[in-house]
Amino acid sequence: MDMSSRKILDRGFTSLGIFSVVLMAVTLAVLLTPIIIRGAGAFVFRETVENRRFTFDVFGRGDEAALEVEVADAAKARKPVYDMVAEFRAEVGQMSGRRKRDMQGQLRTVENLLRELLGPFPGEPRPVMPRSRYGKPRWDRAEVALGRLLTVEDYDYSDPTQLGKKVLTPRVEKFRGTKLEELFDYLPAHAEAMLRPEWTLNWRFLTDEPVDANIFGGIWPALLGTIYLTVGAMLFAVPMGVVTAIYLVEYAGSSRIVSLLRTFVSTLAGVPSIVFGLFGLAFFLNTLFDLHLFNQVLGISRSKTVLAGSLTLALLVLPTIIRAAEEAIRAVPHSYKEAALSLGATRWRTVVTVILPASLPGILTGIIISMGRAAGETAPIIFTAAVALGKVPSLTELHQQPTPALPWNIYNLCSENQAIEEIRHVQYGMVLVLVGLVLLLNVAAILLRARISRKLRG
Amino acid sequence: MDAFTLQRPMGSTRQDGPGRRDAPRAADAAIPGQGASAAHVTAEEFSIYYGQNQAVKNVCIAIPTGQVTAIIGPSGCGKSTFLRAINRMNDLIPGCRAEGLLTLDGQDVYAPRLDVVALRTRVGMVFQRPNPFPKSIFDNVAYGPRLQGIRDRARLQGIVEHSLTAAALWDEVKDRLGDNAVGLSGGQQQRLCLARALAVEPEVILMDEPCSALDPRSTARIEDLIEELRGDYTIVIVTHNMQQAARVSDMTAFFYEGALIEFGSTRDVFTNPSEKRTEDYITGRFG
Amino acid sequence: MEVQSTTGSRVRRRAETKLCLSRRQSLVRGILGRLGHGLLFVMASSSLLAVLFIFAFIIRDAVPFFRLRGFSEFFTSPHWHPASADSPEFGALAILFDHALVTLCAAMFTVPLGIVAAVCLSDVLPFAIRQIVKPIIEILAAIPSVAFGFFALVILTPLFQNHGGNVLAGALWAVGIPVMLIVTWVLSDILSSKFKVGARKAARWTVAAVLAGIQVALLVYLGGKLSSLVIVSGTNALNVSLVLGIMALPTVVSVSEDALTAVGRELREGSYALGATRAETLVKVVMPAAGSGLFAAAILGIMRAFGETMVVWMAAGNSARIPSPWYNILQPVRTLTATIAGEMGETDQTYGAAHYHSLFAMALCLLIVSFLCNFAAEWFVRRTHKRMGKLAK
Ligand SMILES: Nc1ncnc2c1ncn2[C@@H]1O[C@H](COP(=O)(O)OP(=O)(O)O)[C@@H](O)[C@H]1O
Ligand SMILES: [Mg+2]
Repeated sequence: MDMSSRKILDRGFTSLGIFSVVLMAVTLAVLLTPIIIRGAGAFVFRETVENRRFTFDVFGRGDEAALEVEVADAAKARKPVYDMVAEFRAEVGQMSGRRKRDMQGQLRTVENLLRELLGPFPGEPRPVMPRSRYGKPRWDRAEVALGRLLTVEDYDYSDPTQLGKKVLTPRVEKFRGTKLEELFDYLPAHAEAMLRPEWTLNWRFLTDEPVDANIFGGIWPALLGTIYLTVGAMLFAVPMGVVTAIYLVEYAGSSRIVSLLRTFVSTLAGVPSIVFGLFGLAFFLNTLFDLHLFNQVLGISRSKTVLAGSLTLALLVLPTIIRAAEEAIRAVPHSYKEAALSLGATRWRTVVTVILPASLPGILTGIIISMGRAAGETAPIIFTAAVALGKVPSLTELHQQPTPALPWNIYNLCSENQAIEEIRHVQYGMVLVLVGLVLLLNVAAILLRARISRKLRG
Repeated sequence: MDAFTLQRPMGSTRQDGPGRRDAPRAADAAIPGQGASAAHVTAEEFSIYYGQNQAVKNVCIAIPTGQVTAIIGPSGCGKSTFLRAINRMNDLIPGCRAEGLLTLDGQDVYAPRLDVVALRTRVGMVFQRPNPFPKSIFDNVAYGPRLQGIRDRARLQGIVEHSLTAAALWDEVKDRLGDNAVGLSGGQQQRLCLARALAVEPEVILMDEPCSALDPRSTARIEDLIEELRGDYTIVIVTHNMQQAARVSDMTAFFYEGALIEFGSTRDVFTNPSEKRTEDYITGRFG
Repeated sequence: MEVQSTTGSRVRRRAETKLCLSRRQSLVRGILGRLGHGLLFVMASSSLLAVLFIFAFIIRDAVPFFRLRGFSEFFTSPHWHPASADSPEFGALAILFDHALVTLCAAMFTVPLGIVAAVCLSDVLPFAIRQIVKPIIEILAAIPSVAFGFFALVILTPLFQNHGGNVLAGALWAVGIPVMLIVTWVLSDILSSKFKVGARKAARWTVAAVLAGIQVALLVYLGGKLSSLVIVSGTNALNVSLVLGIMALPTVVSVSEDALTAVGRELREGSYALGATRAETLVKVVMPAAGSGLFAAAILGIMRAFGETMVVWMAAGNSARIPSPWYNILQPVRTLTATIAGEMGETDQTYGAAHYHSLFAMALCLLIVSFLCNFAAEWFVRRTHKRMGKLAK
């Protein structure tokens, strides 16, 4: 091989490396960009008058007088629609035979689509489900609904060897020559007047209860549940982890015990998270909390609880905390310890008054990172704590009640919800909140670590 | 009167060779007629091992009360090891063990039921590198008193002021007692460490090359301080610096390869050493 | 003398206070100390206890399954119909196979990329860029798996379903062209070196042209095939393997980087001094020296993919079949983790129900494999440390 080939191979190797580094950066960007952009849509969007009505009716927020004016204006814009529909209904009543049946069917479709878009017709009884009681709360969803009103989506299965082909035809074709024909010109022209979309910054997405399968409202229970689970996990894991680290560095006399314990720590770190979930189910719920002491005396429930979820998550993050704390404690200069001991401190006092304060930033870094981990984990809480719907338990019933949680609700909304498409923005919003929470924690940890290393350097 | 302070050579090392034969009795000459009360820390046939390696060999020494005793010798000769034995700091090192007798005020320092905490409150220590805690100046000095259970703010303040004044640092830091001690200069930090040790009200202060990490001016200040503390405390100072030993100490002990070669009044050791190796070391022929 | 004597008396000796504790005090302190130490030890054993308990309880609930159904069906039959009322079947072979397939696919792409990226970080990129890349890796590692799963399900799946063939073809071209250029260059050089000096240049060009032609033809052929491919289900093994690979990348990178930096400067400089290029130094000297550490990195990375639940549950298609043909990664699959997550909620969680226990049997498989992998990784890491220790001496 001559030099140039060796050089080319060298370059090839280098560029493969750079490629994979770039790949990671690009992946991160590709991953985060849609989450951020579409997730922001949960907070910033064009809100229709329907959502303002909903917010006022259910949450009691908003300016009543202004809302009334707005609703009246919208009603004025909607009136021609209802008039046209009424006229057409009368027209259909005079038809006969197949055409009548056909047109009745078409009319019903249009009426239903109109209900979806604008809410129930005037004079109709108020439906129970909020999604039928109000029209589209968001302009982007309203536009989709309007599109479905204006065009018929059909599949052409004429070629049996192929998948069905999508065929789009304007709905107006079906109503040529009838009184409803005009409606399809009127709707797009006056949609904004009927729904009055306005840009809003809806930070209440974070703090509102969800209503009707998350079509309205926010994600507060899931967010709060995640906070409970995370903080709870830390309450168990931090003392355990820090004490373990203290023991490993300061007390364990023989190195054999240290390496034995370390092996177990890394084994624990390698256990798949779903196995933690099963363990939580088999041990905490089916065994421990089944005992008389826990169940009857302490009143801990045998089914999913925040407590069980926190305990399971605590085990999951324990290795992370132990490792971080051990490293931080080892990094404390030996001279601090000598100084404290020479002043007459006992070993434990030295640990508490000097070593822990000096290693606190490092330990905190580990805690913050494992908080992020605990907040984002799904598998361990599926069987131990999480439910898709429901209220967040109050602080006094954390040992008796399950809770919604962000990761679990994300899974649920995007794979098991009835209105998956309708609430894409909620899914993205939830992912954004979860990822944002985790990233915030991690950035805090990175900054903290940078500060520590700067301090160590001088 | 303690038995072992009777008519023993005050500084010697049980070792074959000339040192054993002319066991120097210089100490007796330096403080004649003081008897038992003169010796504050004594060692009898005292040895320290790191695993198999004997770092201090059969040392016999009687360190007089209220005086400054300098320990000199080439590096690696066991000075620090011996010094750290006096307040049992060697306990921290795994595999380190002591043999023989070491006493403080006649009480065996290595007794099985010894209360290490009580010992260390009576024997303070200043280390080679200044090692203030990363806490405020006030908290540094108040650390020891707090350990002893003193919580009263006014009393702590009194102790802190007193200790800092004794360490000649009060005027420099009295307006910023809340600042982090790590922000002080090296010399100031070392004086803070001294103040911190003084706040515990020890009888003996051990100093392990306290000036080796400092610039000449800070060194001079520490030396002045030692001068001021003389008489109020029994001071044992390890130093590499012959001039320093000559300047600040009353008594000088010369260690060589773990053994105590010569112990006597500083004037005698420096002007008229009885041992050839001492003379060689002092005149800079090795080390 | 007089002065010294008086100054001597100024020392506040506390000879009267005893340094030694009374027998009783000493006993009490000793006991308290032991107790405290014991308490610390018990708390410090929490991870040890946790591991033992996890094993104990998973085994406890897995054993009844094998008692009820025996071993052979679980490991040899691909028919998984646990919920069938009259004749439930518990053959996990297909699920085991799918799990292995997904894990290996992820590993095949993450291990080489991760190790090369680590080499790049430790030896190639300038310090400033490293400082930027490290946090990126950390953040990538921190993103919750459910977010990756969401990404796979909501963004990748429609992409595969609607434009799958073109995406694959594009990827093929993007990877193929640089590889082709390098292969052409190097092979033509090697092949033409047999020719005499005068003819060498011409020979080389001809060889290069022929090679390039062959490869372009190959690329065009494969690309055409791929782009005409219709992917029926966007939730498939390839989709999740990609995402799992990306999730495992940070682990591989950071562990291998540690191993590579542990190799030390002398070895590298020795190689450069012999005239080796950077790639040669890295491939022939540094990477072998860090070999055990790189193995450990690979294992830990594979473990990350192996133990993942949410991504596979959401985006692998959940079809408990062995793909046909077995290597067809464009078909939906289902892993152990996804089965556990998906079916535990549906079973009656009562002791004695075969379905309930079958899921614990799966968990036991996961646990044993990850335990063994972990052991192997530890062993490799220790070996690196030992070797490096020896080298340093
Ligand atoms: N922690 C230790 N472990 C083992 N050997 C040690 C340790 N500290 C010191 N030594 C050994 O003890 C001897 C005396 O050391 P030291 O007391 O520090 O000497 P000096 O302070 O006089 O320079 C040296 O030979 C040294 O190698
Ligand atoms: Mg020393």
